[in-house]
Amino acid sequence: MVELELLSPRGEIEPPPTYVPTARVPDLAGKRIGLYSNGKQGMDNFYAVIGELLKTRYPTSTITRLTGAFEIRDEDARVWVPEIDTFIYAVGD
Amino acid sequence: MAGAVKLEKMGKPGVFIPCDTFAEAAKSASVDNAMPAMRHRTISAAEFYRVRGSVEEVTPLAERLIDGLIDALTRPLEPTETGRPRGKKEGEQTASITISGESYPSALEEFNQVFLNDLWGDGLPLVPPTPERVKWMLSGTSLPPSKVIGKVLPKQGIATVEKIAINAVMAGAKPEYLPVIIAAMEAFTDDNYDQRHVLLSAGSFGLIIVVSGPIAKEIGMESGVGFLGHGWRANNTIGRAVRLATINIGHTWPGLNDMGLTGRVNPHTFFTFAENAELSPWEPYHVTQGYKAGDSCVTVASIHGGKDRFGGSIMTWTAKSILNAIVANVLGVGRGALKNWGNKGVGEIHGSGGAGTRHLIVLFPAVAAELKKLGYHDQASLQDEICRLAAVRYEELGPADIESIQTAMGMGYEHVIPPDRRSVYKDALQPGGMVPVQSSPRDMPVFVAGGAPGDAFGFNYMKLSPYKPTAIMTKRITRATLTKAGGVDD
Repeated sequence: MVELELLSPRGEIEPPPTYVPTARVPDLAGKRIGLYSNGKQGMDNFYAVIGELLKTRYPTSTITRLTGAFEIRDEDARVWVPEIDTFIYAVGD
Repeated sequence: MAGAVKLEKMGKPGVFIPCDTFAEAAKSASVDNAMPAMRHRTISAAEFYRVRGSVEEVTPLAERLIDGLIDALTRPLEPTETGRPRGKKEGEQTASITISGESYPSALEEFNQVFLNDLWGDGLPLVPPTPERVKWMLSGTSLPPSKVIGKVLPKQGIATVEKIAINAVMAGAKPEYLPVIIAAMEAFTDDNYDQRHVLLSAGSFGLIIVVSGPIAKEIGMESGVGFLGHGWRANNTIGRAVRLATINIGHTWPGLNDMGLTGRVNPHTFFTFAENAELSPWEPYHVTQGYKAGDSCVTVASIHGGKDRFGGSIMTWTAKSILNAIVANVLGVGRGALKNWGNKGVGEIHGSGGAGTRHLIVLFPAVAAELKKLGYHDQASLQDEICRLAAVRYEELGPADIESIQTAMGMGYEHVIPPDRRSVYKDALQPGGMVPVQSSPRDMPVFVAGGAPGDAFGFNYMKLSPYKPTAIMTKRITRATLTKAGGVDD
């Protein structure tokens, strides 16, 4: 029997912090729903339908769309967050 | 995912939509971004990419998804989503592994299979990283094994000298290559280097590793005919060691978090070559970056997959014809990007993505010599000329081009148009002016490599990478113990 003792090539990872998602809204009636995309092709069409479906189900909701970087920039987030109650985030990838 | 987590942390509940083929990557990214319970709902990749071209075609897909989205936004969080499990320090329990077999060949086969099953390999046979072999590898540097060189994304795995050496063993490298590999990893893990885009993007990008200075010859790197190909242990295993290090130390894997749709163009060994210092008429690349001629340095740079061809090989060529081909390529690529210069960009870095291209130009020695005879006494003079020639008449610009360039100048984006180039565009943006499509000549690094006959070609990448300021970095090779070169202490 042959035994090979081998050293692990894997990088050690420090224990990451863990954050909990924000509490949900009870329903979407009257809510400001933000649709975020990074502008990849097809997102406009997709969000056009999603927005319409949401408005049909929740006529009192407001839909806002924002197109920005792959990862929303801090400056964009600071402006957008106060204007929404909840969001959908898709990158078309 | 990072953007969605950012919004959650700012107090807004949301849902992330990945395609189903990216579902595992989304889960992995939610952990990497410290919110493992980030809600997501998937859509069919097979359908989305086919039907996204029109509202009518994408409607059925959206209709099937909407209930899930509403649920994700409104159903109260479950206890499993609100707990805060303490993350484990991954790697503590797997410092070493023992593999058994009835014979050495069977143990070797078992080792390769286990490593591949655990996503620790690259698909090719590996050299077993035994303690003896790793100790042998570490004899190539005077750096302590525990020294931290940097962290590798996406998991922020800690790249110590020892971990790099383990991967170098697996790659089949020799100890005298280790200082080069360490310097390459030091460049790649520099805080300013955009690892994330090149390692993880769907765009199947790759890396080149260029060694310049005396160590290249000492360790037997090939810089002549076939320099990018197989058969050169130093070139191939240095590139493979860096590749394995990114896989193992960063914990990447295709489809899990490396979303390269066609895989990386140089999947097992990043393109690695040495400049042909003996035949080059110019100073080595690292000298143009401020290092001393006697230094040995490594440059790593992110690239798109394909090569741009400029001429040479078995076809007739002149220095002028190759220069014209380079200019035509730069002009062809850059003309359409002018209207993007004023954009905010695809990432945190303004102008990132569409605002210009970095062209890495590789010239074979004979054409470099002919260019020098024409008066291009160094790489900078060649870069300046390419930049000057790759220009568009002001009258040919559209309103969107002009507005974008003016926006880029006015917004103080140092990256898109460097401050020392603003006056060039101020003068060019008027009747009779010639507007360079390359905002800075120094975004066209020039390397001399190859033999006779040779090929002039280039790689390119976005000028501004999305997540960090740069995608090209040079570091000095130090603390080498088995070569005369590269032995300078920090």
